[in-house]
Amino acid sequence: MSEREIFRQLAVQRWLFEEAALLDARRYDLWLGLLDESIHYRIPSRSPMPQQDVKDFSTWSVERELDAHDGVSLIDDDLAGLHRRIGRLQTGMGWAEMPPSMSRRLVANVLLRDVAPDGKISVTSSILLAKTRSEERVFFTGERRDRLVPAGDGFRLCERCVILDDAVLVAENLSLLF
Amino acid sequence: MAHEEYVAADGGWIRPEILSDPALYEMEKERVFGRSWLLLGHVSQLPEPGSFLRTFMGEESVIVTRDRSGAIGAFLNACRHRGFQVCQEDRGTAHRFQCRYHGWVYGSDGTLIGVPGEESIYYKEIDKRRWGLAPVAQVDIYKGLIFGNFDPDAPSLTEFLGDMAWYLDVMLDRREGGTELLGPHRWRIAANWKVIAENHCGDEYHIGFAHGSVFPPDLGPMRATPIPGAREIRPGLGHGLGVNIYPDEMKPEEWLNSGINSAPPHVVDYYVATHDEMVQRLGRQRAHMTLIHGAVWPNFGMVPIVNSLRIIQPRGPHEVEMWSYCLVDRDAPPGVKAWLVAQSAASFGPAGAFEQDDAGNWAAVTKTSAGNMARKIPLNLQMGLGHEERSDRFPGELGLTASEINQRGFYLRWAQDMFGSNAA
Repeated sequence: MSEREIFRQLAVQRWLFEEAALLDARRYDLWLGLLDESIHYRIPSRSPMPQQDVKDFSTWSVERELDAHDGVSLIDDDLAGLHRRIGRLQTGMGWAEMPPSMSRRLVANVLLRDVAPDGKISVTSSILLAKTRSEERVFFTGERRDRLVPAGDGFRLCERCVILDDAVLVAENLSLLF
Repeated sequence: MAHEEYVAADGGWIRPEILSDPALYEMEKERVFGRSWLLLGHVSQLPEPGSFLRTFMGEESVIVTRDRSGAIGAFLNACRHRGFQVCQEDRGTAHRFQCRYHGWVYGSDGTLIGVPGEESIYYKEIDKRRWGLAPVAQVDIYKGLIFGNFDPDAPSLTEFLGDMAWYLDVMLDRREGGTELLGPHRWRIAANWKVIAENHCGDEYHIGFAHGSVFPPDLGPMRATPIPGAREIRPGLGHGLGVNIYPDEMKPEEWLNSGINSAPPHVVDYYVATHDEMVQRLGRQRAHMTLIHGAVWPNFGMVPIVNSLRIIQPRGPHEVEMWSYCLVDRDAPPGVKAWLVAQSAASFGPAGAFEQDDAGNWAAVTKTSAGNMARKIPLNLQMGLGHEERSDRFPGELGLTASEINQRGFYLRWAQDMFGSNAA
């Protein structure tokens, strides 16, 4: 790794950690400020699929499991959609987060995949989201595929795709963001 | 055991224990899920010979197939040798299902076509014709929706749906090309299946409060006062729904641009452009109606106002697996389908603005109903009791926008199936 790459890796990692800390702290107002106006936030559904050619590991790919059944996403939000999602929590009737869930996001395996000519960085990370609310204690794990655009001292998030490791969510809802 | 211990004769109260008692749940497996027509899927999910899908009837795994002749059938997903599931995938295409345990092979019509060692270790004595997959006794299709019934003596699907079919047409039969079913989303909720089914069947009352986060403050509480043109309808047989009825002179663009139905121009244009076709197929009365919510007994729920269909798959007395689909007109343009799918997921499903808040309520009701004290204390279902109306324009009985007419019908059907008493 060049010095420049190391610097970029650390900067992206630090940004992801700070972002996770804002969500853990329920500072959705500040989190919305991290989003680019072109943000596309998506959680595709996932379904187990047989390998096309069991001898060829390239056909064992996760990709085939995404949108396997008609491409119906769990979340498919633009900026306005995310604002509605967050705004709902401030109405005093967003019962799924009243009182708010206790949550912890562990972000790991941060890998910079690509830096586009326009400066946008493609980064993947693994996330463990633990959530406790009422009598429910749930754990989600997944991969996040992000695109960050450099902005000021940090970045803005312009794309996030969350690949959850579940076909059937063992959770009563998805009231938190990854 | 008399049903009066559990459900009032007029449906005006229930004992909470019916929402949590394990012994009653065991009885439901036979008397409800063993004898009712259960939604299995949609013909659009089985586009060609060899297409199959895996689903559940009650807690039992079932495969639904389209065989080489194009016929749709359903079978218990259990090898006749040791009962291992012969199908391990949600959907796909296959003309043979091979058990992974000892390798028995079945055709898409359920027949046993291969037994390893048939000649050498079975001495050619096994009668393969007798050992095919156990068929679901009755399978029938209503306007694209595939239903199955384990009971060979159960009344026909048409009889089972009764007047509910007239209303289902509003979403299933708008257009010549029919519909297609997309999805599902699947997730677990720690709730009894009936708590969720009765909510779909008849609960307009909760919308303004439980879903207050979605409505502007001035719209939220309005569900506590009747909305003109909106009615709860009890078609009978345990089914129920809520509808909006628009005056003859109203144009579709007017109702498409109001409330949570509010749609972008290309979607409004689509419904306006296809309105005449709908009038032709169903008549003005049904073309001027939108279905808001509903349920077909016992566990087929729907929120048609956002094109959501759901199967509430029971997982014991205290848990369900929700399967939530999006239903769209098959011949709608891709852009319209995409918007409907996104709108459906943004409002219902595990991350939906509405349904996020439902799950906790349903879980809490189930939890309470298991309390040694609380399970005996009746719960009130009297809203609108004795004020049911009839109309010569709409089959069934009518209640106000908020009325528990349908919950009463739901639990009386439950009592009927479980204990043979009269259902409303």
